[in-house]
Amino acid sequence: MFYANLKRILALNLPICLIVLAGFCTSGVYAGVPAGTVISNAVTLNYSVGGVGSVVASNTASFVVAEIINLTLTVQDAAPVAVNAPDVSRAITVLLTNTGNGSEAFNLSRNNALPGDQFDPVNALAGAIFLESGAQAGFQANGPNADTLYVSGVNDPVLAADASRLIYVVSDIPAGVALGGLGNVGISARALTPGASGAAPGTTLPGLGAGGVDAVVGGSRATATVVGSYIVSGFAVTVVKSVVGVQDPRGGAIIMPGSVLTYRVVVNITGTGTANNLAFSDPLPLETTYNAGSIKVNGVGRTDAVDADNADYSVATRTVSARFGNTVSPASHTIEFQVTVN
Amino acid sequence: MNKPIFLSLSGRILAVCIATAAALSAVQAQQAGSIELKNIAEVETEAKDAQGKIERKRVPVATAVPGTEVIYTTTFKNISTRPAANIVINNPVPANTTLVAGSVYGANTDISYSVDGKTFATPDKLKVKGKDGKEVTATATDYTAIRWTYKGDLPPGKAEVAGFRAVIN
Repeated sequence: MFYANLKRILALNLPICLIVLAGFCTSGVYAGVPAGTVISNAVTLNYSVGGVGSVVASNTASFVVAEIINLTLTVQDAAPVAVNAPDVSRAITVLLTNTGNGSEAFNLSRNNALPGDQFDPVNALAGAIFLESGAQAGFQANGPNADTLYVSGVNDPVLAADASRLIYVVSDIPAGVALGGLGNVGISARALTPGASGAAPGTTLPGLGAGGVDAVVGGSRATATVVGSYIVSGFAVTVVKSVVGVQDPRGGAIIMPGSVLTYRVVVNITGTGTANNLAFSDPLPLETTYNAGSIKVNGVGRTDAVDADNADYSVATRTVSARFGNTVSPASHTIEFQVTVN
Repeated sequence: MNKPIFLSLSGRILAVCIATAAALSAVQAQQAGSIELKNIAEVETEAKDAQGKIERKRVPVATAVPGTEVIYTTTFKNISTRPAANIVINNPVPANTTLVAGSVYGANTDISYSVDGKTFATPDKLKVKGKDGKEVTATATDYTAIRWTYKGDLPPGKAEVAGFRAVIN
């Protein structure tokens, strides 16, 4: 049996890899003086009457800084997320920022049924929305650094003034969508202070702000919606391995001990996107012995040593390897090598 | 002392006083000897009247969000029977606010500013260190305190007004 083992670390869309290092971050947004701050002012006046100096202090004029409720949502993907059809658990990354001046809780939701696209992404079986756990950049559905499944009303993110949280809107992609098909998802966040979401800017909500001060609805109307997109790129890596030549010890083409087999492996990348660190490795069957110096990549000979050329043979692991780095689709690579049947 | 120019300025400011009289009445005035000193913080609101005309009025500020412009008005009145001399008013720009350029006024006064709260000077003489460490002339946003020095004596019974605007950071 052949076993071609293709390790591929795919980043379908390179710009997506602009990932904020931690899930929790403080942006440069300046939300202003924290809600609840008391701002006081008193005046002193010096004077003299009849040559006698005196000083008088005014009353102190004070007021409390109210909470302004504002938020922003921004899609972090530089381009539509490239997917296959079907595909599973593909994340659109969105950053939620509390641009108000007090702590605020936010409810999150998504809308798959936006018009004007070619397909509707569906909520991923693994979960529709995840919150970055802060353990590892990028979306992880499971594992030790798994992100947190968002459950409306249970773990609505609470953000301090100026704080941000990365949110992953995770979708499964239906089958049967043509290449280039676009699927949009609406992502919404709304402040949970009662009466805030959707209210006219300037609406005052007495006593409902952080720490019991008045809350005032900001220009965002305490809600934000953005649209993230998927695009069916048809990205795929296929590997076809075949025996293209047999030479037996008697000059024929019969597979028998002593026969030299020439293997050819063709790695094809199709669709739109980039395969990052594309690498190929093929452990040889125990019944064969590698013919030293027989590796060719795209028709050009390679040494067996691990060196500057992009292919080698490891005696210890009996494995032929080749590396192609970041490979932009479409691309095709052919690897050939020879073994002798034991 | 009452040169015509001062009269006209005072007249305008007094009109402001009348407009805010109701608000001022809520403020407890401090009395110590010969000068009555009041300080009030207000915001200007706009509302449409029955004819659809935009009406602006000032109301005392109880709460306000960042970005709000607050109007500070100081009224000082000689309540003694003798003229008051050497009147100097000091008012720090409140913490967490920024002085609005060009908003400082005070009839019959010399106005100076401070960037450290200690030394006062006219704007052309005030320096702060820029981002590159070099000294540059300070601007209104650098000022941390305002000083009004009243020119001449304040006659018995007379009131004057000084003030400024600041935006909540």
